[in-house]
Amino acid sequence: MSAPRSAVEALPDPVAPAAPGPASPTASRRSRRADLTLVTGAVLVGLVVVLALVSFVWTPYDYAAPDPAARLQGVSAAHPFGTDRYGRDTLTWIMMGARITLLVGLIAVVIALVVGVPLGVLAGMTRIRWLSGLVMRGSDVLLAFPALLLAIVFSAVFGPGTVPAMCALGIAAIPAFARVARSGTLQIMSREFIAAARTANRSPWAIAVTHVLPNIGGLVVVQASVAFALSVLAEAGLSFLGLGTQPPTPSWGRMLQESQQYLGTAPELAIFPGVFIAVAVLGFNLLGDGLRDRLDPTLRGRE
Amino acid sequence: MSALLSRLLQFLLTVWAATVVVFALMQVLPGNAAQVAAGLQATPEDVARIEAEFGLDRPLPVQYLDWVGGMLRGDFGTSYVTHVPISPLIADSVQVTLILVLASMAVALLIAVPVGSTAALLRGRAAGAVLSGLSQVGVAVPNFLAAILLVMVFSLGLGWFPSSGWQAPIEGFGGFLSHLVLPVLALALVQAAILTRYVRSAVLEVLREDYLRTARAKGRTAAGALAVHGLRNAAIPVITVAGVQLATLLVGAVVIEQVFVLPGIGSELIRAVQNRDLLTVQGIVMVLVLMVLVLNLVIDLLYTVLDPRVRSRS
Amino acid sequence: MSRPILLTAALAAVGLLAAGCSAGSGSTGGSGGGETRTDIVIAHTAEPTNLDFTTTSGAAIPQALMENVYESLVRIDQSGEVQPALAKSWELSDDRLTYTFLLDENATFSTGDPVTAEDVKFSYERVVSDDWTNALSAKMDIIETIETPDEHTVEITLERPSNGWLFELASLVGAVFSPDGVGDLANEAVGSGPYTVEKFTRGQEIVFAKRDDYAGAAPGTLDEVTFRYFGDAVAAANALKSGQVDVIGSLQAPELTAEFEADDTKQVIEGTTNGEVLLSMNNAEGVFSDQRVREAVLHGIDEQAVLDTAWGGKGTLIGGMVPPTDPYYEDLTDVWPTDVERAKELIAEAGVEGESISFTVPSLPYAQASAEIVAAQLGEIGLNAEIETQEFPAVWIEQTMTEKDYDMSVVNHAEARDLLTVFGEGYYTGYDTSRIADTALAADQGSEEEYVEGMKEVARTITEDAAAGFLFLFPNLIVADAAVTGLPENAVSDAFAISGLGWSEG
Repeated sequence: MSAPRSAVEALPDPVAPAAPGPASPTASRRSRRADLTLVTGAVLVGLVVVLALVSFVWTPYDYAAPDPAARLQGVSAAHPFGTDRYGRDTLTWIMMGARITLLVGLIAVVIALVVGVPLGVLAGMTRIRWLSGLVMRGSDVLLAFPALLLAIVFSAVFGPGTVPAMCALGIAAIPAFARVARSGTLQIMSREFIAAARTANRSPWAIAVTHVLPNIGGLVVVQASVAFALSVLAEAGLSFLGLGTQPPTPSWGRMLQESQQYLGTAPELAIFPGVFIAVAVLGFNLLGDGLRDRLDPTLRGRE
Repeated sequence: MSALLSRLLQFLLTVWAATVVVFALMQVLPGNAAQVAAGLQATPEDVARIEAEFGLDRPLPVQYLDWVGGMLRGDFGTSYVTHVPISPLIADSVQVTLILVLASMAVALLIAVPVGSTAALLRGRAAGAVLSGLSQVGVAVPNFLAAILLVMVFSLGLGWFPSSGWQAPIEGFGGFLSHLVLPVLALALVQAAILTRYVRSAVLEVLREDYLRTARAKGRTAAGALAVHGLRNAAIPVITVAGVQLATLLVGAVVIEQVFVLPGIGSELIRAVQNRDLLTVQGIVMVLVLMVLVLNLVIDLLYTVLDPRVRSRS
Repeated sequence: MSRPILLTAALAAVGLLAAGCSAGSGSTGGSGGGETRTDIVIAHTAEPTNLDFTTTSGAAIPQALMENVYESLVRIDQSGEVQPALAKSWELSDDRLTYTFLLDENATFSTGDPVTAEDVKFSYERVVSDDWTNALSAKMDIIETIETPDEHTVEITLERPSNGWLFELASLVGAVFSPDGVGDLANEAVGSGPYTVEKFTRGQEIVFAKRDDYAGAAPGTLDEVTFRYFGDAVAAANALKSGQVDVIGSLQAPELTAEFEADDTKQVIEGTTNGEVLLSMNNAEGVFSDQRVREAVLHGIDEQAVLDTAWGGKGTLIGGMVPPTDPYYEDLTDVWPTDVERAKELIAEAGVEGESISFTVPSLPYAQASAEIVAAQLGEIGLNAEIETQEFPAVWIEQTMTEKDYDMSVVNHAEARDLLTVFGEGYYTGYDTSRIADTALAADQGSEEEYVEGMKEVARTITEDAAAGFLFLFPNLIVADAAVTGLPENAVSDAFAISGLGWSEG
């Protein structure tokens, strides 16, 4: 395989490195572990997804209806997660917050994927050196803007909100997708069936669609899962700074931020959003790891 | 040598492109910078005066060249909003952030290297799984949550450390350290969790190498073999990751700076954003971007030196 | 290195860090030790960007510098009365146009120079010159002439009689500067007050040092006073709990007071401010140009519930634009009792059931909290308030205040005696000023009694016209170490006066 061009490229993505399958345990045992990771991740992510989906048809209370008589009630049968300073049900807010969490992650990933993958494939397939160079240099420039920085700048330019936040997170994630797609593509391009397809005069489009994309799909899905986890964390951080989702839209990060003055008196207000942020991030990370281990043979081939 | 030159050229090109991007982003901003700076009771004359005073009435390319030229001389201009020169502000706050981030990375490595190696050596055993699981959970905890918890326990509960604030080292080293502990821990614990996973992978990788198997065959324990032969090799990817994470931390520290009321560059950025102090935002963003680019360059160069595979190619 | 060694090294490093610090941390309250402390640290929220209020607007700079570093001829005391400061006395001519101030001859600037009538003239002429760009300088436009018959006498003649002017003079526009001290106002403050700025670290703190040569009316007691700035209320509260600060000047997280009230080592002081939290409605345009809809809103809102949920019940219901510390205060809370049925009728009469209104809310804690509950209450009466959070100050000032692109908003109007500004010509409330203009002018020019009666009428008219909702009077919540004395209970002037602060013995 080709040696990495630069240090950054040589790395697995920074947050969820694969646990490389060692030689010692048997293959079946390894895949059992991978399955366990995968299943745990899927369950956690599933939990968040279900919360969000159910919130569209049913929530225990109306999220937008304060009830001054029921404020700061603590955990009870009527309010399993307690109520906030407005007397709103925290469980309802967690469910509604799941929507924003997933929406931000989804849009960010879609932006990064839709822009990054084609660029990466292009850079990997093209024989025009300057073109691939241009793509990779462009991605270098973008790489200089960490996600949070881009999001803060966007909040300055477009005003704070969910939309600028998810766009910024998506754009910041483009280089990672482009790099994954490019290195995957480079690998595929060296295979014999590509040479065969080329000699058969098949168009680059056709090769990209029939051979390249299906083969790098796994890599991209893993990357998507990781990017999802990163977006969830970043959105929470932004909302904590007051630069993310704005009231009255429920967001876990802002719930956590607003709960600070109740840490001494009503800690459940901080505990639940905190736990759910962690659950979502953990879920997507585990999902990514599990998928990666599943796709181990392809990944191993990278090195 | 030519490879080095071309990498440097590439770096300069990227820096130039970044200045264009940053400058352009600021021009997209809704509203007129002078209007924003002049405040609410400003008359059109006030706005015109500010425009003239800060040269905002000149063509954009001229403003751009002026800005870049100023930066080359280390002068980021004077804020239209606070009337304070921006360069000293950036210089002061960058110091705070660098101290915070470097100390956090050092502590994170001090935790991650032993824990990650242990997790690798104990692979397949319950203890190893627990360590891996803990690091997974650690990665998922937002650093501001860690910060809040640390303040609750070590500042409000035990009273060991101040809950916020900053003291420059020259004003007393003890005070400097005590103000630094909690923010550093808040950043370091989460970083350590991330790095632990890399250390574990790297060590596992090394453990499979032939020379280690040979060493073990000669009767060394796995840990002994690793300590003698392996760590240096495992260090390459870990150092690389640490470098990449440093770049993320530079900006990621902003949340921690806010929780602990530290006068770092992230706090200055947020403040400038809130005041619509565009020239300051522009300057700070450029400095952060430049630091990330330099860091990436250093990692690449370091990597070329450290990794025999790359070295042999060039 | 083997694993245990590495681990030990890591632990040792953390331990070292920990050990190095305990030495530096922790200042205990004054009550504990044998000696009474001579310094104090006060947490504030809004931080000054520089030290020059002549060109920079905002409350932070005068809060730090007025009465402490700069003095005016007069000041406002805790009950809202005008009191002597640099002027030890004054007289008003029979035509109510000319004020003759007698200066305190002991007063000196921190440079050592005496404060003379010429300095006052210099300062006040400077206010109306181009050197002052702070819009508040317009308050001095009413001055016609300034005479200095002798070194310690200043005669100021106004264009027309004004009851409000002397009060305004106590604010930052009345600050007396030394002609030698205005070269670098942003960084250097030269005034005649009991303290000097010893150190100003932008974004962090201001350290004040007591002037030993101060011979004026309000000498300081503590040698060193520090204002430390916390953008975040919780961080400030934590700093008080962990002993890093001794006082929180104005607690912005009222829900925390319960904890401090339960703590014997802390005292909680609940005073008043000049800040009316206004539920502003665009009188000039849109759905709220119909007075019936505004009346419906006022009937529909339960102010007590808003106060309880949004601000922990801390604050006062006033029903109008005048705080109880002003001479023309009147309780107007009974003008618009909460009456949801009546509100619905009015909504039906106006034919605006289910109408969407644009509710622009500045990104400030009290505003966001109030808006959420107000929006829910409006939903009950059939108005669909769509909350849009606008970043404060930048976006809110541009969109809502300047462009007037809003139906409803909520903001704390914190300036003293500001009803004529807030409901004045061209202001974002869009109020029909012809309703009050004549009464207000007559009141300002009349006798003191006529002033009070006239302004009462103005305030009542504004409330009766349903020009806006008056949610509550913003409280001044001070939390402090129990041993701190002399805290200014009410925030009724520009300043946070520090000269009276001290520590109780034992």
